[in-house]
Amino acid sequence: MRTLPRTLLARIAFRSFFLQASWNYRGMMSMGFLYAIRPGIDQLHSPGPAREAAYLRHLEYFNTNPYFSSVVMGVTLALEERLSRGEIGEEVIHDTKEGLMTACAAIGDGLFWDSWRPFVATVALVFALGNFLLTPLIFLALYNLPHLYFRFAGIFWGYREGTHVIRSLRQFQFPQIRQTLRLGTMVLLAYLIPNHVNVHTPFLLTNLPLEYFYFGEKVVQGFGALLLVTLGTFAYRARVDVLLISFLLMIFALVLYHWGILI
Amino acid sequence: MPEHLLASLLIALIGGIVDLDSTATWQFMISQPIVAAPLTGLFLGNLYGEAAAGLKLGLMVGVILQLVWIEQLPLGMNVPPDAALASVLSVALGFISGHSYESYSEREVCYTVALLLAVALGLLGRSLDMFVRRLNTNLDTWVCQKVEDNSLWAIAVGHTLGGFFTFTKAFIFCFLVVWLGVEPLKYFTQTLSFKHGSGFIVVQGLLPAVGFAVLASMVLKDRDEIRYFIGAVVMFTLLPAKIFLAFIAAGIVMYRAHKGVKK
Repeated sequence: MRTLPRTLLARIAFRSFFLQASWNYRGMMSMGFLYAIRPGIDQLHSPGPAREAAYLRHLEYFNTNPYFSSVVMGVTLALEERLSRGEIGEEVIHDTKEGLMTACAAIGDGLFWDSWRPFVATVALVFALGNFLLTPLIFLALYNLPHLYFRFAGIFWGYREGTHVIRSLRQFQFPQIRQTLRLGTMVLLAYLIPNHVNVHTPFLLTNLPLEYFYFGEKVVQGFGALLLVTLGTFAYRARVDVLLISFLLMIFALVLYHWGILI
Repeated sequence: MPEHLLASLLIALIGGIVDLDSTATWQFMISQPIVAAPLTGLFLGNLYGEAAAGLKLGLMVGVILQLVWIEQLPLGMNVPPDAALASVLSVALGFISGHSYESYSEREVCYTVALLLAVALGLLGRSLDMFVRRLNTNLDTWVCQKVEDNSLWAIAVGHTLGGFFTFTKAFIFCFLVVWLGVEPLKYFTQTLSFKHGSGFIVVQGLLPAVGFAVLASMVLKDRDEIRYFIGAVVMFTLLPAKIFLAFIAAGIVMYRAHKGVKK
């Protein structure tokens, strides 16, 4: 039988927004984790040694993806509840939490940091480079839809399904979603390169008839941009620091400008 | 209150809030350059009676910084450069110092120099972030001791203090940089001759290529994809630069990829 009310779980999900406020090199997110689930612990364990032991248990090392942390919190509370009824030992909570935080970190980091954020950022860049002033709002709205979904739904899944929650998460087919997002990012990037790297040279103005100027300008810009991006990609894959690449590009641009090749 | 002091306080407040979002709390991604920079531009522009100009500058800065640091991830122990503070400070320094100039090109030079300076400030911001995390580690030890002594109030206090350190660090850093940095920046841009100054506008137009290269390195996995990608760049070079074409193409590719993966 489940004893924690839905409003309390929602409150814990809300408190998970502050998970990393005291991020540190010892327990990482441990203090934030305990801070978030504290109302649940207080409800499950009466004041005294059991509650104090629960606090100390959750001050141990904890690190996961912040958006999936509520899943771990839900499972942990389900296990704490079983512990309070004497059905399991403390070590089950410790081991489950450790395994689950690693799994959630892998799923969440792969989905949000590696795929969703670059995709949404690229969508926003398309709008921003088209001078669309509401771009920040589009970015925030799009990015936070899955964020808030996993943040709030996660705690209910975790609490309801306990250690079986990984099975439910698997139904999302995260690797496939990541692959789709990656390809979407690739297409949008292919649009951005020829249209938003400004490679302008005065030679076209003097050498091309006016009726071909626009087309010639577009072709030079497109291929010039592709060449620059290709060189940049080779440098980046050769582990040259991105700031050094930017600095070299700046020198290159200033030299070409000085010689009158770029305007 | 003098306008410059008011602007410095406003930027410090924005910097503090935005920096909280980057890891400590919420993580709605207000801290992403594509949001943080336009937000700063809007508030600052409003203060100087040029909201639209501020917003446009914010978008330009946001695009470049978003691209340059797109692959920087706050994973585990990794502390990326502080892109949030770099965005806020780049817009603030560029806008306030460029505000006093009449000509377009002089303003653009201010914006570009401020952008380059902000990249360095982003790296300094990372060091400050690491300092706050070390403070939090001491805080964590203190909280553990207090909980062992049954002083349970220490959990909320310690956790809140962690967030307070992050906010205060960003607030003081942003205030000092804007308060002390505008005049030296103005002096530096005045020393640049107009010819070199215009070269910086060329640099600004080419800088997105670096970010596109980083993004290309992230999304392109094999030779086939590179071939399709180059084909797509050529296609978008020849097509008119319409945003809806990019989204239609991305939609088709994502739909087909999703169906293909399911099969």
